[in-house]
Amino acid sequence: MTRERSLHRLLFCVGLVATCCGSGYARWLEIRDVKVRQEPTELGGPKIVIEYDLEAGDLSAAKPAYVFLRYSKDFGETWQLLAPDYLQGNGFGMVERPGHKEVVWWGLGQTGVVDLGQVEVQVRGVAMARIPAGDFAMKSLPGAGRDESKKGRPSSDLPLYYMARYETTIGMYTDYLNEVGGEGAGWNRRMSRTDRCGIVQNSDHTYGVAEGREDYPVTYVSWYDAMAFLRWCGLRLPTEPEWEKALRGGFYLDGDKAKGQANPMPERIFPWGDEAPDANGVYRCNFDGDGDGFEYTAPVGSFGAFASPYGVEDLAGNVAEWTLDWYTTSYHVGLDGFRLVRGGSWMAVPEACDAVTGATQFPLKESSIMGFRGVKGPQP
Amino acid sequence: MSPLNRRDFMKTSMGAAAAFAAFPQGRSLGANEKVVIGVMGLGGRGTYLAQKFAERPETEIAYLCDPNTRRFARARNAVEEEQDRRPAMVQDFRRIIDDKNVDVLINATPDHWHGMGTIAACQAGKDVYVEKPLSHNIWEGRKMVEAARKYKRVVQVGMQSRSAPYVHKAKEYIKSGKLGDVYLVRVYNMMQHPKQADTPDGPVPTGFDYDLWCGPAAKLPYNPSRRWLNQWEYSCGPIAGDAVHQFDLARFLTDDIPYPNAVSQTGAIYSLRDGRDAPDTQMATFEYDGLTMMMEATLWTPYMKKITAGIRDSDQFPNWPFCSTKVEVLGTQGFMYFGRHGGGWEAYDGDGELVHSEYGRQADKEHQDNFMECVRTRKKPTSDVEIGHLSVLPFHIANISYRVGNQKLEFDAATESFTNCEDANKYLKRAYRTGWAIPENV
Repeated sequence: MTRERSLHRLLFCVGLVATCCGSGYARWLEIRDVKVRQEPTELGGPKIVIEYDLEAGDLSAAKPAYVFLRYSKDFGETWQLLAPDYLQGNGFGMVERPGHKEVVWWGLGQTGVVDLGQVEVQVRGVAMARIPAGDFAMKSLPGAGRDESKKGRPSSDLPLYYMARYETTIGMYTDYLNEVGGEGAGWNRRMSRTDRCGIVQNSDHTYGVAEGREDYPVTYVSWYDAMAFLRWCGLRLPTEPEWEKALRGGFYLDGDKAKGQANPMPERIFPWGDEAPDANGVYRCNFDGDGDGFEYTAPVGSFGAFASPYGVEDLAGNVAEWTLDWYTTSYHVGLDGFRLVRGGSWMAVPEACDAVTGATQFPLKESSIMGFRGVKGPQP
Repeated sequence: MSPLNRRDFMKTSMGAAAAFAAFPQGRSLGANEKVVIGVMGLGGRGTYLAQKFAERPETEIAYLCDPNTRRFARARNAVEEEQDRRPAMVQDFRRIIDDKNVDVLINATPDHWHGMGTIAACQAGKDVYVEKPLSHNIWEGRKMVEAARKYKRVVQVGMQSRSAPYVHKAKEYIKSGKLGDVYLVRVYNMMQHPKQADTPDGPVPTGFDYDLWCGPAAKLPYNPSRRWLNQWEYSCGPIAGDAVHQFDLARFLTDDIPYPNAVSQTGAIYSLRDGRDAPDTQMATFEYDGLTMMMEATLWTPYMKKITAGIRDSDQFPNWPFCSTKVEVLGTQGFMYFGRHGGGWEAYDGDGELVHSEYGRQADKEHQDNFMECVRTRKKPTSDVEIGHLSVLPFHIANISYRVGNQKLEFDAATESFTNCEDANKYLKRAYRTGWAIPENV
């Protein structure tokens, strides 16, 4: 038998997990019918081809999907993120159109497998917003992420990056826990409170979501939990300037290179403008009290009409969001200090849900008023 | 409660001392009744203390107070996770003072509010846990002591290392004579602080009662980059604010030596030229009876490190040459390195050989335990208000020396004033904003 024929014999499709869990953008995007096959190549070893259907309706260059793939070569025992360096095709990274997608996994190192039956691939998509390169009106004084005394005021002229349009949800985070959580890494007992979170640890150390809680933002996550989840996705936390620019918009909403669309309110106080969160009896975000319809957190995207100029939702209120930056104080310089948290929460006064208010928190703190979202961007 | 203007505040709270002298000395608590607490100042330390006291089964937080409503959520969340009672969120600390059901005030405000808050609480029959440094100025510190004594209140100062067992062992070691006669103690506070950003004054953020925040101090134009810690109006400076911990420990190790007779000081702003008042470099020599204390303080030395979290609560010592918060005790027969923050201590003999060492642990919980025990027993706490006063007083003198041109100052303990410089005496007491004042007779 020729080598080609034996390789052909390895070709078969593996019908695999539909990774998305439900409707809308509130959790992972709708990804269906994932198929994996292995094909020979002329010059190198075999390549693995992953196909799937992305059924998110309103994708665009401004609001793409961030698609990442995780694979296992041992029947789902251990998993790794598929590095984009080894991928080709139209179905990974920022994906701007729905439809049928193909990802070719081929490159340096061993990609082929003897038994494709051992392989599982999970494909997940996160709804993102594109924030073009350019300057913005930075009003707050970020911790700068590093020692303020060395670097001075950080630049407000940011390169292109993408931000998750929604806070990370309980559904998304539980999915992650079921891969990595095991006996408790990333989960703590307070998460089982259904009024403020709703992730339950089962006796076999799998995790489940309390009924109806999938679309709520995950809470009781420390800064380290947030970092670990985002690393798992191939994302990271936003810096403070990135968070603030996503809320206010740059001076030009299409970026400093195009300069075609001036931001009508570059110094806006809130994502929607300057009106108070409850001006004229209209509730624009989830803050303290239940006049906005929510005693605790609200499902992500509940205030879609009051998103930022880039379509990023819930930057104001709901859960305060961890950022990458830390804060040098007079008393904590030199220590692993406070992290910066932005955006107010369901417990905050309306004023605290603005563009500039921040709070500091110990990175180990797990709280019902804090969550996070991810960013894809250059190394800060 | 209708908002009081400042004149009413003087009349009803601070000025009417006679009325308060007849006020009941706190509630009588039943055996299972919780001690009710109000916390004023919801920065990092205030939030931490609120959470810690909320965790205690015998206490509950009734009020969380800060003039800046943006600070509410973090503190409220920290407390509500630990207790059933939802605290009232208020901007005006007088709500706490006026509530007869509140037993304790925790005062974690900037320095300029330590005096007024503590004295008002004592007058209202409440015990107080006040953060260090005790006072904004020497006169105010003395008034705080007087108020505590007059109203028979327990006032604990947040110098928690005093409650740490390893500190007491160090004192015993020194008292046993193993270092010989101790004539010199060197106290260090050397670290790296950030420069204040240069931004223009701006509007006061909504939801922030800046007038109330300024209180007795001058209402300087609001500037988000200006740190209160670096301004004389609101603080005794970042050096005093931090070094008071280890200076207090130095006094403890030398049997709580009370007053210096004279202070020589040289201070300057070399590196952090950002409009601050307080120096970023300060070397002071404090002449006590039979003992000299020295302080070396800098805010521009990145290689000097605070004892890390990993060392504080473990069996490790800091790297002494680069330890920014150490105390060195020099005797005629031996030498001791001593670390604040659970840094432990190591003793050396006359040949420079290590002869004894003790690891340390932080003592926040022990200090809070001690306070609560004293609330119950009415004994003086470990860091009693007078101890706090005598530990920060040398820094006040050093700062005054700086403000009168680095002049050596001679101090009279009986009158708590300077004998050789009338200009210096002007800084014993702050200037109070009209309508806000602490009376001579508290």
